[in-house]
Amino acid sequence: MSATDRARRTNFLLDVTLFVICILLLTPLILLIANGFKTPQEMLVWPPTLFPKDPTLENFHKVFTETPLLRWMLNSFLFAILSTVAIVATSALAGYIIGKFPFRTINIIFILFLATAIIPFEVYMIPLYFQVKALGLLNSVGGLLVGYLVMSFGIFLIRQNVIASIPDELLEAARIDGAGELWIFWYVVLPLLRGPLAALAVLAFFQAWTAFAWPIIVMTRKKSFTIEVGLANFQSAYTVDLSLLSAASAAVMVPSVLAFVLLRRNFVEGIAASGMKE
Amino acid sequence: MLRRKQFWFAIMAILPTFAIFGWVRLFPIIETLRLSMHEWNLLSKNKPFVGFQNFIELFGDNQFMDALTNTAVIAFGAMAVTIPMSMVLAAIIYHRTRSRFSGFYETAVFIPHVVSLVPAAMAWKWIFDAKLGPLNAIIMGLGGDALPWLFDPVLSVICIIFLVSWQTLGYGVLIYLVGFRNLPKSVFEAAQLDGANGFQSFLYMSVPLLKPITLYVSVVTLISGFNVYAQAYVLASDTQGAPGRQVRVLVLDMLENSFQNFRVGYAAAEAVILLSIVLLLTMIQFGLLRGKGGR
Amino acid sequence: MTKSIRSRALKTAVGLLLAGTVTANAQDVVIWGGFPELTGYYERVAESLSGKYPDLNVIVEPIGLRDHEKRVALGLSSGLDDATILELIGSTANRYIVNDLIQPAPEGVSTFVNDDSNFEAFFQETAKVNGTVYGVPVFRGQGALFYNTDMLAAAGLEGPPTTMDEYDEYAAKLTQRDADGNPTVSGWSLRLSGGGGGIAEKFWINLHQYGGTLLEKDGDNYRAGYANEHGLAALKQYVDAVSGVKTVTVEMPADAAAFQREQTAMFIRESWVIGDTAKKAPDLNYKTAVLPRGSIALPVNLYVSGGSDEAQTAAWDFAIAANEPEHLIWMLDNVGWLPNRSGVDYSGVVAAKPQFGAFVDLPEDYVFFTLPSIEPINEILTRFAAHLVDAYADESLVGNDAAMLEVLKASAEETNKILNRAGILAK
Repeated sequence: MSATDRARRTNFLLDVTLFVICILLLTPLILLIANGFKTPQEMLVWPPTLFPKDPTLENFHKVFTETPLLRWMLNSFLFAILSTVAIVATSALAGYIIGKFPFRTINIIFILFLATAIIPFEVYMIPLYFQVKALGLLNSVGGLLVGYLVMSFGIFLIRQNVIASIPDELLEAARIDGAGELWIFWYVVLPLLRGPLAALAVLAFFQAWTAFAWPIIVMTRKKSFTIEVGLANFQSAYTVDLSLLSAASAAVMVPSVLAFVLLRRNFVEGIAASGMKE
Repeated sequence: MLRRKQFWFAIMAILPTFAIFGWVRLFPIIETLRLSMHEWNLLSKNKPFVGFQNFIELFGDNQFMDALTNTAVIAFGAMAVTIPMSMVLAAIIYHRTRSRFSGFYETAVFIPHVVSLVPAAMAWKWIFDAKLGPLNAIIMGLGGDALPWLFDPVLSVICIIFLVSWQTLGYGVLIYLVGFRNLPKSVFEAAQLDGANGFQSFLYMSVPLLKPITLYVSVVTLISGFNVYAQAYVLASDTQGAPGRQVRVLVLDMLENSFQNFRVGYAAAEAVILLSIVLLLTMIQFGLLRGKGGR
Repeated sequence: MTKSIRSRALKTAVGLLLAGTVTANAQDVVIWGGFPELTGYYERVAESLSGKYPDLNVIVEPIGLRDHEKRVALGLSSGLDDATILELIGSTANRYIVNDLIQPAPEGVSTFVNDDSNFEAFFQETAKVNGTVYGVPVFRGQGALFYNTDMLAAAGLEGPPTTMDEYDEYAAKLTQRDADGNPTVSGWSLRLSGGGGGIAEKFWINLHQYGGTLLEKDGDNYRAGYANEHGLAALKQYVDAVSGVKTVTVEMPADAAAFQREQTAMFIRESWVIGDTAKKAPDLNYKTAVLPRGSIALPVNLYVSGGSDEAQTAAWDFAIAANEPEHLIWMLDNVGWLPNRSGVDYSGVVAAKPQFGAFVDLPEDYVFFTLPSIEPINEILTRFAAHLVDAYADESLVGNDAAMLEVLKASAEETNKILNRAGILAK
């Protein structure tokens, strides 16, 4: 067998493996989507059926007419975009500094940034709530954003990528040529960080998109709910209206997948094509 | 002189971010940590200082110890699964970048990361179901015994590790993919000329070169693991009349103490202990996974 | 980023920050509830007030109970901007009242609540602290037995069990088993796992039938009241059911869903099951029955806080209007929670849905119990639940009265320690 044939066979096997793994990973979600089409009676059946015997569009209809789901998605979208911009901007610069300027003060700042990620948000959101309330930012996108302007893991990610893929020599060479620090950051470092920044954008976007603990205490008006908060509405005191909730979650998955595909195609993919530094 | 200029640039550049951090993170966290030495029921005006009393009580509190143990096991378990699996998956997907399915693979792996857990959990409860779930069906098919996944104290923790890994895999794959794409091609071309095959170049070159990325995935998975909450909550709820064992985790304990038992100072003390442990573990990881340049 | 880009971005950001800010007007009343299924009911009450308050805008904002509690805690401690009607369980509200975060109700409301023809003493008490009225009772959660009439008939049993011994008898007779003797349909579904105080609450209901109580009241103080023969009887019942006779196991499907799927013959739960079953299993043949001695009652009251005086008056009027018989009957019929008001004629609803009978047609000597309004109540329930879960799964306890009593004693010690820490342990 020639080398090309062998390569093709390996590729085929790899594809099959990947396919199987992906289907396995998606199984819970296939069930979730199926649940969206079931009547309350069919939801009761155990084990759950993968293909509804009595499919109904009633759940989706209810979800779109009785709840402001689209409004919630819009709120989440606005919030997520703003948060992403803030996080990418702060992480890019801070990550670069922490990665390439290892002074002791800077290192201490890094430890502080990382340490703040360890404490669960739910624990320190109480004092943060009072701060936001004092500023009159409750029930507004601003109040939401207060919790999502910076991301310790974002800064950390950029730091690691800066260390892994930007050689010191490159920066030194630019400095010797007389370039200013900001110029170096903007024209030398940022272009090399497009991939990680794109990945960060994806992660930041979805962090805001799926946020729950903070939005639920900051937004108390149904109109201003974000998606997860709105979805929590389908849980009544002792039961969860699972068919409605599944329909709503399935509906929300559509923009989620779209957002990922778009972000990926336009940012992450684009970099793979453009040549790597040598 | 040059160093001085760089130092000031660094400080100035990081100042805005640090200022924001100070306001939205450092200040509330320091407030919270300060509360660990006080007693506060969230509502009253007075918060009497109690010194180390909360900490002493915590060490005798078996619910807290339970939570700490469970959480640690989940965090390390999730790390052990996520790091190798996401690296390997990313390597394979990267290798098949030119396939027209690469987009599908990346998306499929990532979607679990962003889906709402409560409706997804029902599927997981079915998968783990002792009598009717596919997992036990496979085990019995292979000749083993059906296991009570959701009720056994040990097995239920494993269920949570499964659930956590399912969601963090996509995160890890995305990060590693970017890492792979940023690897210098020249080194690999040289290795290929020397006769190294795909697997060898992966093991002896990619993995070490990706150390900084591995450090990232490792630290993040560990910290996120210690922050686990939704997964434990969702598997214990009695949707479909199938409750599971409630695995006590730290965040659950802290939230209960804050909002149900109204002992915010006590919960804050838990946070302090969590911070100390995880910070120590993080520093250890930094030590172990030093990339080139000692960073 | 260069300076000009930065400042432009800043301006856009500030503009966007203030976008979507939602504020209320002076004539707005917001309702914060922990039961989303009550939205329809509140909207009806709001409509009925539109004549008296044409400019009134009632905004109904229900959300899941756990998050509702968080929202209320944060809102009340930092002060509410709008006039807000808060739906709270009496024991939870007590906490806020004790910290001066909820003010006494105005006189008109007080009179309404104190009127014996409106509410029984039990419900009046839940809305009062030290004799002062703070809120208006509205509905409650209450337990009753649900049983599958087909299964009972098949087992040759007439009518529901009326004593705890009969419950055991019925459970044994109603359990269906497979060839290996393992139960496939449980006779009596018990709450054996899952998180939180719910397990302790369900245990307390059984304990109550044996004449026991979880917490004994002694003046203003409490002590653990279950490390005795009553507690032992209740625990024995559980242990025998799970590990002895094996009429139910931890892995079996439980609760309403199992009942609706006919995987269990009977179980004790609240009235919401009726509406739920009508939707999910309308063909199920079942009836309800009162419990032998009495039931848990978790009364929910409406409180008002925040906003202008004008809006507050409207809010209190709303709370009283919510108790109009027509709205209460609608609530019972459509949502399934039980109104607390006395003297309302529910016969129409009961005739159409006889299962409600066990919730509203109660014997004269029915004894209610509720969760005491003390700060550590949740912690006590949760920690007790942890001991119970372990005991239920412990096979070695079968027939071992001494060991079971030890378990109860150990837990009672913990309960008393918590009470002591809160300064309310009875001597």
